[in-house]
Amino acid sequence: MIVRIARRDLLELFRDGRFIGAGAVVLMLLITALAVGWQRQVESRTERVVAQKLDYDDWLAQPERHPHDAAHRGLHVFKPEMPLSMIDPGITPYVGSTHWLQAHRQSEVKFRPAQDATGLQRFGSFSAAWILQVLGPLLVIVLGFNAFTAEREQGTLRQLISLGVPLRRLMAGKALALGTALWTLLIPFGIVALIAVIHGTPPDQRSDAGLRLLLLALGYALYLGIFVGLVLAVSAFARSSRVALTVLLGLWIGIAILAPRAVADASRSWFPSESRRDFNARLDADLGERYQRAWNSYFGDNAGTPFGYKVPLSQWGKALQIHDQAGYETMDRHFAALWNAYARQQIAQEWFGALVPTLAIRAYSMRIAGTDFDQHRAFSVAAEHHRRRMQDLISQDLVTHADHRGEQHFSYRAGSDFWRQIPPFEFHPADANQSLSDASRSAAVLVIALICAWTLALFGTSRLSR
Amino acid sequence: MSTRMQFKRIAAFELRVLIAERTLWLTLGLLVLLIAYALNNGIVQTAQRDVSTVETAKQDQTSRERLADRVRRMMAGEYVPDDPFANPVDPSAVGGGMGAGHAILPSSPLAPLAFGQSDMQPNEYRVTTDSRVKFMQDAEIENPWNLLNGRFDLAFVMTWLLPLLVFALSYNLLSAEREQGTLRLLLSQPLNLRTLLLAKLSVRAVLLLGSAVLLPVLVISLVRLEARAPAALLDLLLWAALVVAYGCFWFALSAWVNTLARSSAFNALVLIGSWVLLVLVMPLLINLLVGLRHPAPSRIELATQTRIVTTENLERLQDRFGTEYMHVNRPDVLIPKDGKLEVPERLRAFFLHDQALDAELDTMLDRFDVQLERQQRLVDRWGFISPAITVHEGMAALAGNGAQRYVEFQRQVKAYHEKWKAWFSPRILEGRAIAPNDVAQLPRWQWHEVSTAATGLRLLQLASIAGLLLTLSLRRLRRFPTI
Amino acid sequence: MNSSVNISSTPMLEAVAVTREFGANRALDSVSLAVQPGEIYCLLGANGAGKTTLINLFLGFLEPTSGEVRINGRDVTQDGLATKRDVAYIPEQVMLYGVMSGIENLQYFAALATGEDLSRTALLALLSRAGLDESAADRRVGTYSKGMRQKVGIAIALAKNARALLLDEPTSGLDPKAANEFSQLLSQAREAGVAILTTTHDLFHAKQTGNRIGIMRAGRLVESLTARDLSHQDLEALYLRHMAAQP
Repeated sequence: MIVRIARRDLLELFRDGRFIGAGAVVLMLLITALAVGWQRQVESRTERVVAQKLDYDDWLAQPERHPHDAAHRGLHVFKPEMPLSMIDPGITPYVGSTHWLQAHRQSEVKFRPAQDATGLQRFGSFSAAWILQVLGPLLVIVLGFNAFTAEREQGTLRQLISLGVPLRRLMAGKALALGTALWTLLIPFGIVALIAVIHGTPPDQRSDAGLRLLLLALGYALYLGIFVGLVLAVSAFARSSRVALTVLLGLWIGIAILAPRAVADASRSWFPSESRRDFNARLDADLGERYQRAWNSYFGDNAGTPFGYKVPLSQWGKALQIHDQAGYETMDRHFAALWNAYARQQIAQEWFGALVPTLAIRAYSMRIAGTDFDQHRAFSVAAEHHRRRMQDLISQDLVTHADHRGEQHFSYRAGSDFWRQIPPFEFHPADANQSLSDASRSAAVLVIALICAWTLALFGTSRLSR
Repeated sequence: MSTRMQFKRIAAFELRVLIAERTLWLTLGLLVLLIAYALNNGIVQTAQRDVSTVETAKQDQTSRERLADRVRRMMAGEYVPDDPFANPVDPSAVGGGMGAGHAILPSSPLAPLAFGQSDMQPNEYRVTTDSRVKFMQDAEIENPWNLLNGRFDLAFVMTWLLPLLVFALSYNLLSAEREQGTLRLLLSQPLNLRTLLLAKLSVRAVLLLGSAVLLPVLVISLVRLEARAPAALLDLLLWAALVVAYGCFWFALSAWVNTLARSSAFNALVLIGSWVLLVLVMPLLINLLVGLRHPAPSRIELATQTRIVTTENLERLQDRFGTEYMHVNRPDVLIPKDGKLEVPERLRAFFLHDQALDAELDTMLDRFDVQLERQQRLVDRWGFISPAITVHEGMAALAGNGAQRYVEFQRQVKAYHEKWKAWFSPRILEGRAIAPNDVAQLPRWQWHEVSTAATGLRLLQLASIAGLLLTLSLRRLRRFPTI
Repeated sequence: MNSSVNISSTPMLEAVAVTREFGANRALDSVSLAVQPGEIYCLLGANGAGKTTLINLFLGFLEPTSGEVRINGRDVTQDGLATKRDVAYIPEQVMLYGVMSGIENLQYFAALATGEDLSRTALLALLSRAGLDESAADRRVGTYSKGMRQKVGIAIALAKNARALLLDEPTSGLDPKAANEFSQLLSQAREAGVAILTTTHDLFHAKQTGNRIGIMRAGRLVESLTARDLSHQDLEALYLRHMAAQP
């Protein structure tokens, strides 16, 4: 019986053109977005791999020079492209992908792509994820807003009830119809996406990418399922098709357009983060104090200011070592505080996802695709560790080759034997399992929202006979 | 009876009908709520920025005074620097940081009206003799997730939400008359359908758009003193005109859809569909196309170039870099003699190195600016395809937070940077110490406001499309079926 | 006949060989009729016979495929606004603005019809002449019955004081007392020289009030006769015969 109900509903959707019209538009947009993302990703990956290798080769091929100067020349490291960024680029436009590892600066990532775009970039990124998150619910609404109200208005609802059709079965049938319509549209896209992802990923990452794609598909299935429930609920409660459509459109605009911004604002006021100016000011003040203390504790209370004239050049290797170590803990603390504030902001928004599912799926999708802030943070931290490794090796080398005459610190030159001691930067992004556990909160929220939506739908359906 | 009298009669009656129905109150109420919240966001944020600007300027002033004081005391023999990298008479130290001030972009009088790029682009740079590559590539610190979501500012309310309120009031302009049956009685009177449409449209437009611009204009001119200057008031008027023109576009679209003589439900769906297309999808597509047509140069390539230039210059200045710091054994080297100072060779090398970076990377950095400018020109020319783009860019520009004002800021910072370096260059290379009078003569940052808001063009674009749609609607009315 | 009758031979309402097609369907087939001032012409016919289509043509809501429709000698398709000044219309279902009161609706439509703003007293007088209770005048039209709404429609027509009057099924849904009052109003209008064209199912009413009677069937005017020349029974027989005939 459920299948029969579903079949009739699907036929009607097909005949009145909604399915084909709306579906074709969404499918076309999805494939275009995927094509664009794929091309960008492939280009970008190639470029990064090449640049990373060139940079390191160049490092190794350096002529002899003072290691400290080599540290100023630094190393460039590039964040690897995640295989699913063609579907969900996440925060990529707003964070850079290049780190310049130099001495004495915790480098943040520079060069955010969004700075190289016009103000239009702030409207959003044209990606498959955006289309599914924002236009997906609209599609569900267009297909299902009059699921029950049309029956009521035509009088067929009364007929069905008088025939003894259980209301739950009716709802199941309609849900099945909606779900089938959605899958019919999205499965072709899913297949194309699978092919694109496999093609655009190096062989060793393919199984991980495939798993991520599957998890992503499940997440979006949950998300659209929430809206199927919501649409059926509103259709059951509403007096007329017009009211149902109005309410659903209002909900969609509230959830997908308005709430994300409002909630982001709210979270910013609950867990504020500092401006660049304030952050730098506090960090510099803290560092200055630390450096002085470390300097004094090693070289004595009368050692003057760091790198002043009270400590001979022969000691500068050690001096650099101490200076750097003193800074590490402070910098870690400040950056961690900043990034934790960001994390708290995002977590608050994810919890709001129970009411505003778009926030939950946005977070889930980014985490599974690996384009979220936590991944970026992991890369920044790994890059920083590599920088410290480089710095420590250099300081140690300077200590080893300290000039004992006390006046020729900078005339020491290191050569390729030393350059080779610094390993190439290798960053391994988290695997799919790790990403899934990161995304567990947003997944849970999606499930909660699903349960709520369907409870509402069941409740509404039970009241249909009145 | 004249058309004007009929117009007034219909308008008066429509006003009373709207007041008696709930839709008007709900719509206006919602509008006021949204505007109030968004405006508050803008005002608070701008106030924070202004406070920050004032503090930075004050700090610059304080540090300059401290520097002058130290130089004076040092020349008088009262002060000996113990930190060689903070020697107040060493031009490389002063230029490299001690005397450095900030190049600040002040907020515009209308800044609360739109965030634009202000949450992403820096509003101040600390200008030193370092290469631009080092200090100008930083961005403002903000949670990227929040940047992705966007801010709830007045520009958001006007661009995304105002059209929806327009729809709520006007989607059934003519279709309601037909559906509720009053159209027959109306048109059996000597009444021109055009007059009816225009009167109904005008009442709604005046009420909604009037409220939409009145509230922000009042609040801004009350809260922000800078907004009361004549130039700023003109900008405020232009802002109001821009919003009104945008609103008129959506009203004209509603009118046109109504002349198709379909049901109210059909009208609503078509209007929502066109909103999705023009406000949600089109800007993304145009952004994509603009980026494909004039792609920004690769930042990775810039990184590579930076490395290559750095390496070359390290080699070229190898010997200078290898020179030892003298001050460790001879602290007196930090004290000038007859206005001359031995600037450490290593520090000279850093200076020359950064100069070379600037010179050689200039062309490459310029390419970024050029491509961005080309993108912007494309957007300005073709943006009218989606009126949302036109109005959003227009509002950001009038608020002084548009992309172009930041480009201009960066241009002026670059010019200031060149001046700064030019002032220090002979002193560093020839070893001239900083004298007490010099501090007052250090190049100072001065922001020259340049009008970047091409509002006239945008108004023209919006008004033209609105006018075109309205003309088409009026023409369609000739064949409007009453039954 | 009344002294204010228009002596000229120009009919006030005239259809000259009017045909109207909707695609393959011919709703009106070469219909000709004329209504003189001070005359009531009742048009009889089943649903779909074309009566309402003819009314719509007079009102300019439709254009004839061929032939001409004239009001006071003017072609309706040429001079729409001017012809509308000469004709008042009361539809079968008088639909008004539900959130506004009866008197507010009357004020609005009367002002649009005549170009003048009437005083409250004048409006109340019109409503009372149309038979609407004064206590109902300030209530929202959404609460009115069909009959009450029709009375507002009558008041609007009275306010317009036009030379021609078009009525679509005026007595359907009215109780006998209201129908009777309405007939009296029509007679008053006729005596004042108004040309009246009314469509109706009500054979009795047609014979009672009409000067001329027309029978329409499948878009054609199959009979056009003077009411005086027939008895009630004859009319009924004639009508039924036409209805039963093959198309």
